Amino acid sequence: MANFFKNEKFKSKKNQSENHVSNESNEQEKHSHAEEWEKELSQSNDYKKTFYFNQKTGKKFYFTFISTLVDDKVLDDNILPNLLEDDFHKINDVKKLIPIPDVMVSSNTADIPQMLLEGYIMLTIDGDTSEFAFISSQKQVGRSVTSPEIEFSVVGPKVAFVEAIEQNMNMIRRRLPVKELIAEEFIVGKLSRTNVMVLYIEGVTNKEIINTVKQRISDIEKDEIADSSYFTQIISDNGNSPFPQLLDTERPDRVAASLAEGKIVILVDGSPHALIGPTSLTEFFNSFEDYFLNWILASFIRMIRLFAVIFSIMITPMYVALTSYHYELIPKDLLSTLIISRRVVPFPPILEALFLEITIELLREAGARLPTKVGQTIGIVGGIVIGTASVEAGLTSNVLLIFIALSALASFTTPVYQMSNTIRLLRFPFLLMAEKWGLLGITIALCFLLIHLLRLTSLGFPFMEPIFPLRLSDFRDALFRLPFKSQANRPQYLRTDDSNRFSKEKANKKKDIDE
Amino acid sequence: MLQGSVQERMKISPYMAAYVIVAMQTGMGVLSYQQVLVKDAGHDAWISIIATGLTVHILVWIMYRICETVEGDVLYANVYLFGKIIGNSFNTLFIFYYIIYCLTSLGGLIEIIRTWMFNDLNPIVFGAIYLLLGIYIVFGGFRTVAGISFLGLVIPSYLMLSFLIPLKYGDFSNLLPVLDHTPMELVKSGYNMIFSFLGYGILLFFYPFIKKPQQSKKWVHIGLLGTTFIYTALAIISFAYFPEGLLARSIWPTLEMWKIVRLPFIERFEYLGIANWALIMLPNVAISLWCASRVAKRVYHLNQRKAVIVIACVCLIIVSLLQSRDRMNLLFEVHSKVGLAIAYFYTPILYLGLLIKKKVKTK
Repeated sequence: MANFFKNEKFKSKKNQSENHVSNESNEQEKHSHAEEWEKELSQSNDYKKTFYFNQKTGKKFYFTFISTLVDDKVLDDNILPNLLEDDFHKINDVKKLIPIPDVMVSSNTADIPQMLLEGYIMLTIDGDTSEFAFISSQKQVGRSVTSPEIEFSVVGPKVAFVEAIEQNMNMIRRRLPVKELIAEEFIVGKLSRTNVMVLYIEGVTNKEIINTVKQRISDIEKDEIADSSYFTQIISDNGNSPFPQLLDTERPDRVAASLAEGKIVILVDGSPHALIGPTSLTEFFNSFEDYFLNWILASFIRMIRLFAVIFSIMITPMYVALTSYHYELIPKDLLSTLIISRRVVPFPPILEALFLEITIELLREAGARLPTKVGQTIGIVGGIVIGTASVEAGLTSNVLLIFIALSALASFTTPVYQMSNTIRLLRFPFLLMAEKWGLLGITIALCFLLIHLLRLTSLGFPFMEPIFPLRLSDFRDALFRLPFKSQANRPQYLRTDDSNRFSKEKANKKKDIDE
Repeated sequence: MLQGSVQERMKISPYMAAYVIVAMQTGMGVLSYQQVLVKDAGHDAWISIIATGLTVHILVWIMYRICETVEGDVLYANVYLFGKIIGNSFNTLFIFYYIIYCLTSLGGLIEIIRTWMFNDLNPIVFGAIYLLLGIYIVFGGFRTVAGISFLGLVIPSYLMLSFLIPLKYGDFSNLLPVLDHTPMELVKSGYNMIFSFLGYGILLFFYPFIKKPQQSKKWVHIGLLGTTFIYTALAIISFAYFPEGLLARSIWPTLEMWKIVRLPFIERFEYLGIANWALIMLPNVAISLWCASRVAKRVYHLNQRKAVIVIACVCLIIVSLLQSRDRMNLLFEVHSKVGLAIAYFYTPILYLGLLIKKKVKTK
């Protein structure tokens, strides 16, 4: 897509040089071209062309703009009064007269439609169409900054990204006010012409990552980009994997921290989510709130979360495997509890489990589609009523109901939404394999999962890091989190240009007793 | 210039070499080696294990010397020493050896599952799925093979804790008196132990994939020590747990020991063990598939993707024919004899040959 963009720029440059050489001969052609864009644009009702007279010189001048894109207030307060009252002879005077920094004088008609569609006002003087000025007065329509909803945290900053990329950039820049923070811009999408920014810190982020990302973005072939999640799907290494390979976040603080670690960030205009890469599996189970808590608490919570993931995937398949095949494996006392609860259930365990799993998925999906307040009620009522009723009706055993409810609960502890979806999907193949071969089937499914994870990469970096390749030093911020003073080096796997974050000696300096 | 060299980003860290080798060594042998071991040297056989373990260190040292001498893998060493035609026909034999290796691993796993878990398990369906896993690994390249070797050792390592429970019921006076067997009996036991150690030969093939081969030596030897230690410890626990006569009649003593493990939520622990064994055997199958297809690629310049699929199909066909204990025993026999010949005869001879050839050339 960038090629397309470049081509056009190149063409416009060529046009400009031609204009200088033979202004006369092109006049006719230019005129017809000008009429063409005007004809197309004037089909829309928000295309406006108005004229005024300057009070001192009596010059007649035109404003051409698209009213829905232009801020009326700027036009009325800043532009019009100056042009009406001050000395206005020729087009170049505009720059002096108007208190707006973004004013361009151009003689290139090819630019006009694009500039108008970007929210510029075109100013022309009657009788002289060869030169015209573009005045920036874009209307900013967008919501104000709100607190994060998906990655909520009890302590810590309470701002989340919004749709406007300028505002998002503003939030990041304010957190990292250094000249090394580079933001490279790309235009993606033939129709949407979405503004995309690639952010990194010069001298820290590995050049290879930057080049990979830039290359992949310029290779994108898509007419319309609605959200940053399109990017996750298009530029990730393996598009056929249920695992997200780029981390998306709505927190500016997380973006700033990732940039400081040496990662790369992609911002997409119109999307309140930034993408972070390269990332690894363990990072998807880290909440940013972990960094606001003491390292002991944070590590404990991470362990709980890891246990929750394993529990969530494994417990229902285990139930199916044990009750279908390996009831010898269950100790006698526990077995009697299980048998009593399953006594009246007419279905094999797999049907029972699938029935409840799908019920939970239905509740979740219904809750997600409904407005927040109604959704909560549906969740509680549906969960309790359906659960209790199905046990009483003898359709499911209450032991399984407990397991399913717990595993659903556990799957929601995953802090990254994309990953918690994946976790919920994963248990279905495990269930089917458990039905086929019991514990053995679960192991086979686990093998498949492990191989898949081993083969995955995120922007060319191994996804399973630091577990494989085993990098002990990167464990300090993976499954648990060590104190900040032990995080003096950037993660090893990012291969940063500058691996040192701060002086380890100073951070670790200890005072002697009574000093 | 390394022969059959590979790109830097395909290579594995030096310490990973140890995991690949130990993963290849750990297989069906761990479940059943005590029976053959105890036949000759009785309760003194743990001495034989240590002795055999030491010979493995010498052989691995020779293997490193071979690879260093030719700066490449054994395939190149064969061609270098014997010329293209004879060398490559030697190399072709390795394809068959690793197919047999894959078959013993897969066949042994299926046999155990059928005996202990599902006696109606369809070997073709299970074999097909298992080999598909193997193909999926090999398609990911040697790094994935190394990765599954690592995980296939680390994840089931919790099983080691389970051997502490039979220890509680063990009677260590079974081990006394020490050294009441003749040296000949000890040697015989040691000879039987050789087969349980097999698998380190893979080093000859993946040597070019190690980042700093010199540094990997230390790790590989540590890994081999680990294998010897586990075999010895497990043997001592078994000798203490079983009376000698009973041990000689148990086909899978390790599994039988697990029967004593009782946790508040798990009773028949051997089920868990067998399920885990499916993960432990995966590196064996994956490494042998990788190795066989790699040899096919290096010798016949085939596409490795196609080669591994063909080899897996061959394995599947043969596995479906391995339905009886007799045929399995025959396969084990062939595998151990060929493995023994390669390790204890072929490797030293190759090394000597290379030394002589080098000397002649420099003169």
